Amino acid sequence: MVLTLFDKVGTAVLGATDTFGDFAVLAGRTFAAIFKRPFDGKNLLNQLQSVGVNSIPVVALTSLAVSMVFAVQLAYGFKQFQAEGLASQVEGLAIMRELAPVITGLMLSGRIGSAMAAELGTMQVTEQIDALECLATDPIHYLFVPRLLASMLMVPLLTVVSVYIGYWGGYLILVGVEGQSSYVYGNEFYKLLAFRDLRIAIYKAFVFGMIIALVGCWKGYRTQGGAEGVGHAPTSSVVTSSLWILIADFFLTKLLLV
Amino acid sequence: MAVIDVVNLSKAFGPKVVLSNVNLQVQEGESLVVLGGSGTGKTVLLRNIMGLLTPDSGHVAVEGKIIAQLTRKELFEVRQSIGMCFQMAALFDSMTVFENVAFGLRRHHKMAEADIRTRVEECLSMVGLKGTDQLKPAELSGGMKRRVGFARAIALKPKVLLFDEPTTGLDPVMTDVIGRIILDLKHELGITSITITHDLKSAFEIADRIALIFRGECIACEAPADFKVNPHPVIQQFLRGDADGPFLQDPPPPKRKTQEAHP
Repeated sequence: MVLTLFDKVGTAVLGATDTFGDFAVLAGRTFAAIFKRPFDGKNLLNQLQSVGVNSIPVVALTSLAVSMVFAVQLAYGFKQFQAEGLASQVEGLAIMRELAPVITGLMLSGRIGSAMAAELGTMQVTEQIDALECLATDPIHYLFVPRLLASMLMVPLLTVVSVYIGYWGGYLILVGVEGQSSYVYGNEFYKLLAFRDLRIAIYKAFVFGMIIALVGCWKGYRTQGGAEGVGHAPTSSVVTSSLWILIADFFLTKLLLV
Repeated sequence: MAVIDVVNLSKAFGPKVVLSNVNLQVQEGESLVVLGGSGTGKTVLLRNIMGLLTPDSGHVAVEGKIIAQLTRKELFEVRQSIGMCFQMAALFDSMTVFENVAFGLRRHHKMAEADIRTRVEECLSMVGLKGTDQLKPAELSGGMKRRVGFARAIALKPKVLLFDEPTTGLDPVMTDVIGRIILDLKHELGITSITITHDLKSAFEIADRIALIFRGECIACEAPADFKVNPHPVIQQFLRGDADGPFLQDPPPPKRKTQEAHP
């Protein structure tokens, strides 16, 4: 009984170490491959389009919805203390420091991380990745690097878009519905913010971009077992990257706010 | 020196031994056909030659270079001299036929776009697919996909071509077309090749030598005429295409007498 338990725990620990080691090795190979030649500009542009431009609508809509809901909650909460003026300050702080990077990261892990896992997973089970190898092309360099670069560049930019949309989401509720002065809202939104907050948001988004691309590509690259495996890869990618985004968010917040 | 030298190659996946002490040599310009039942390790042999798998013991040498001992950079250099044609073509489905065939040229040669176009058209006409360059793989039939796969494999002017079951799943006419294309490539380009096939007709047309892998071991490797008269019961059963004999591990279902049709 005890031995079986130890056996199970040992197997689980070994499995987890093996998985993490595999991810770490592939991530290391990806960073090492960034500076290798040939540089495939066309491939990178395609990824910038797919990761960045095509994600604007989903990021905009999500940011608008979240910022509006948050503004409704803040307006209601501060009204209890006759402190409605604080709502726009807290709205600004929450959007810039947490909501914009985290919501953007989570939405993109669902949109682009899963797409990367599905695409690479399909390529893996249809031997297209082996075909790349046979054509003397490193799949890590050809597939991982453009996706990683595009994510590291585009997730921060989309976070800035999210902050901008978030400002207008709060404006719609606090000015349009709650009747605050638009001049006051404009000033109060930025009152508790410093340039450092934007920098923190961008740092966070940069790390989230790395997590999304590396986990998505890793899950796709390690796909096995035909259609079932291809079906499992995006789900697993979204769950893993979302979890890591939330964990990373906690540590980055602790680290960067000190 | 043999272009491809397979020495005591063994490979197992878990408890299942797929290849056991396989020895094969392919000389320059020679065409070797590898026969064998499904799951006997023929594809595993090709994947070891390409360095997609690492042998458990023994080694594969291409032009004297032991594949498993090469650095990744050296391996890629060797792979540029080998063209691999996959069983299901493995075309890049997000690219057009033109982009598929041009892929290796764009990655490894600093060629002008006009020269790439000329080379791609040359390769496509060699496999009888001129004018299909703007189609996507999803718009092609099985036989056309295989031929685009051939064109992609020969684009880099390799010294060795590996064909992994190029005719499986195709109708007899298309099987014959593929067989002729392989023969044409052999005569026009003088390439060293290894072809894995189940199609005996094209095997005897293509081969300079025929090898048969049975339960992970290479039990024969000889000229087609000698192979045909080899008394080994497994070879004779394979040539007859008969279910009865030592070839299958599990006994086949009994043969039923054909019933006469009702009047």
